[in-house]
Amino acid sequence: MTKKQVILGAQFPGVNNFTVWSDPAAGSQIEFSSFRHFTETVERGKFDFIFLAEGLRIREQKGRFHELDVAGRPNTLAILTALAAITEHVGLIGTLTTTFNEPYVLARQLATLNILSAGRAGWNVVTSPDAFTGANFRRADHLPHEQRYERARAFIEAAQSIWRSGEFSIRSKYFEIAGRSALERSPQGAPVIAQAGDSDEGREFAARHADLIYSRHGSLEAGQVFYADVKKRLARYDRSPDALKILPGANFVIGDTQEDASEKQEAIRLQQVSPKSAIVFLEQVWNRDLSSYDPDGPLPDIEPDVSGESLVQGRASNQDIKRRLETARSWREIAERDRLSIRELAIRVTARKQFVGTPESIADEINRYVQADAADGFVFAPHLTPGGFDEFVEKVVPVLQERGVYRREYAAATLRSNLGLPDPKEESPPLRHLSHTA
Amino acid sequence: MTHPNGLRVGIGLDVAAQSRNPRDAQKKFWRALVARFDTVVDFVTLEDGFARPDGDGLDAVLLANWLAASSGNIGIIPGAAVNFLEPFHLSTAVATLDFVSEGRAGFLAQHDDGSRAVHARQAIGALNGFPAAESAALRQDALDVVDVVRGLWDSWEDGAVIRDKESQRFLDGSKLHYINFKGSGFQVLGPSITPRPPQGQPVVAAAYRHGEDSSVASAADIVFLHPDRLDIADVIRTIGTADKNRVRAFVADVIIDTAPKSVDDYVAQIGELARSGIAGIRLALSDPAAQAAYVIDELIPALRARSSVGPVATGPLRGRFGLPAAGNRYTNAA
Repeated sequence: MTKKQVILGAQFPGVNNFTVWSDPAAGSQIEFSSFRHFTETVERGKFDFIFLAEGLRIREQKGRFHELDVAGRPNTLAILTALAAITEHVGLIGTLTTTFNEPYVLARQLATLNILSAGRAGWNVVTSPDAFTGANFRRADHLPHEQRYERARAFIEAAQSIWRSGEFSIRSKYFEIAGRSALERSPQGAPVIAQAGDSDEGREFAARHADLIYSRHGSLEAGQVFYADVKKRLARYDRSPDALKILPGANFVIGDTQEDASEKQEAIRLQQVSPKSAIVFLEQVWNRDLSSYDPDGPLPDIEPDVSGESLVQGRASNQDIKRRLETARSWREIAERDRLSIRELAIRVTARKQFVGTPESIADEINRYVQADAADGFVFAPHLTPGGFDEFVEKVVPVLQERGVYRREYAAATLRSNLGLPDPKEESPPLRHLSHTA
Repeated sequence: MTHPNGLRVGIGLDVAAQSRNPRDAQKKFWRALVARFDTVVDFVTLEDGFARPDGDGLDAVLLANWLAASSGNIGIIPGAAVNFLEPFHLSTAVATLDFVSEGRAGFLAQHDDGSRAVHARQAIGALNGFPAAESAALRQDALDVVDVVRGLWDSWEDGAVIRDKESQRFLDGSKLHYINFKGSGFQVLGPSITPRPPQGQPVVAAAYRHGEDSSVASAADIVFLHPDRLDIADVIRTIGTADKNRVRAFVADVIIDTAPKSVDDYVAQIGELARSGIAGIRLALSDPAAQAAYVIDELIPALRARSSVGPVATGPLRGRFGLPAAGNRYTNAA
């Protein structure tokens, strides 16, 4: 039996402290040459796709612009369409919110990317939580959490309807729109749909609508549990287990030996969590100004402020107020037990799934997860722009190819086919629950 | 007055008109066409067909980004239906175009009214924060969008990215600014998520026809003048004095018929236009695939031979039209 093939996605280093800007090798986060280098490298490494995150407002802390991390990014659809012009095979997946877009506009833009890339467009569907981001957009009206998901579902269905038929006339709880899109379907049919929600609701949403799910489960066991749960849900929507690929996010550090890699990892973690970043990180939980604390000293003995509004704005993972006390307590326990300073604690608890080792050990570990059904592949985020994948492509990819679990050449022309997803023609029954007038 | 270095010359294309062709033909058409014109003209405009009932076609701003990455010199000015888009997304998309093209970017603020606006409103729905399909509301909204888009471009000063290891700061937050726009229809706080683009202010263009309200044209850097019943010198005087602080370039449209006139006729017509105070001409091509050879091999060489059209310009798009390097509203005020 042929082995399961590994899917690889490449996240462009984002606007957060995982992207190291203080390294001499760190280049521009915004010049087109950086995007060109990044994308051409991963295409040379036969990656399935590049992936861009979204952030529609500059992050703030304590009422000031957050200065410590990389900031400044291009318009997602614009840069992906530009990259379509200089590549031929690699998929182009952008994170785009349903909250501050409208179905006709976004469906037309994604169809444009899909046509100009000859079937390589992907859409990571997200909703945006807060009035903070809404301050940059015409529609200042915000929906409660449950309705955001409901509107997102209706949004995707409206977009799919526009892609499918051209003529559209949609009347639903959230949309009352009509018109005609003259854009022919691309060779892959509709853009590939990705989704990242981990809640029960999010998993169900993915099982119904998504082609990819971007997850955050680090260990093999947690990955297997998630994988089995999500794949099981597909049957409910008459979809085969192959119709949804599960791709956890991960990082990597390559060394000549295991020790070398571990040393490099430690150095990178220190770059990622600077002394000031460590304090800022703690402030997200304590919700107090902690700038007088020594990052190399012990954790604050005062309790988090659970009364006020959050000091931190514009981050995906704002700490739930109720959980602040609990989080602080568990961090104190870890810090006391292992004698960690504020900075060491921040390094410890912000660690993500990491593949650290030699090219061979990294390739084998990736493959182990995939063959054990903990994942179908990974979306890697390197810590450097734009050369973060240079070494991976040169050293890890050939090992995966030798193991017979990764393509040597692109087999297909479209993102959907390269991912091993079913042909869109076999899988586009009309959506039964959609209320159409035409 | 005649332009000292000769007129700038560009071509005007309608994106939606190509949507009737199969998708692969469209890709090939755009790539081949822009490759042919890349070193021949100074700029191209791409009329956007947002919600056009006879077929919308590709999104012009995205098409422009695609063309920018595969061209080397041509200035690229995509149209955008400003009344029906989020100004924030438009601002970052055009800023991105300026990064991708390394300073060759602009956009054409399309503010169609009448049935076009009705169709556009049907396509997006009746939403809070978007204008009614009625002339005065659309015009005010277009002015607001242009103001917001420009403000967001200024919202990062040059040099906001400091990468200062000493203070552990990537960014100097004092060089980012809320634009805090509050209009009658919508509000935008800012700052942009995209740093200040290479030109600072990419070129804002608008089209003007006889009898129209001139307020949106007055807010633009480049005004395309439709020749029908228009006294060009008079319009340039009127709009040119509307806001003396703004330097504007006027570009006259020359409609190239499907059965083109003789080169001599166009040369005479354009020679006449050159004396009316315009900075350039835009050759509106109704059937570009068929007309390209005529324009590239006959018309433009003839115009250059008479010195009415200047040699192909290079460098930032603003400079090609004689627009000064852009200031920044947040640093100029200091």
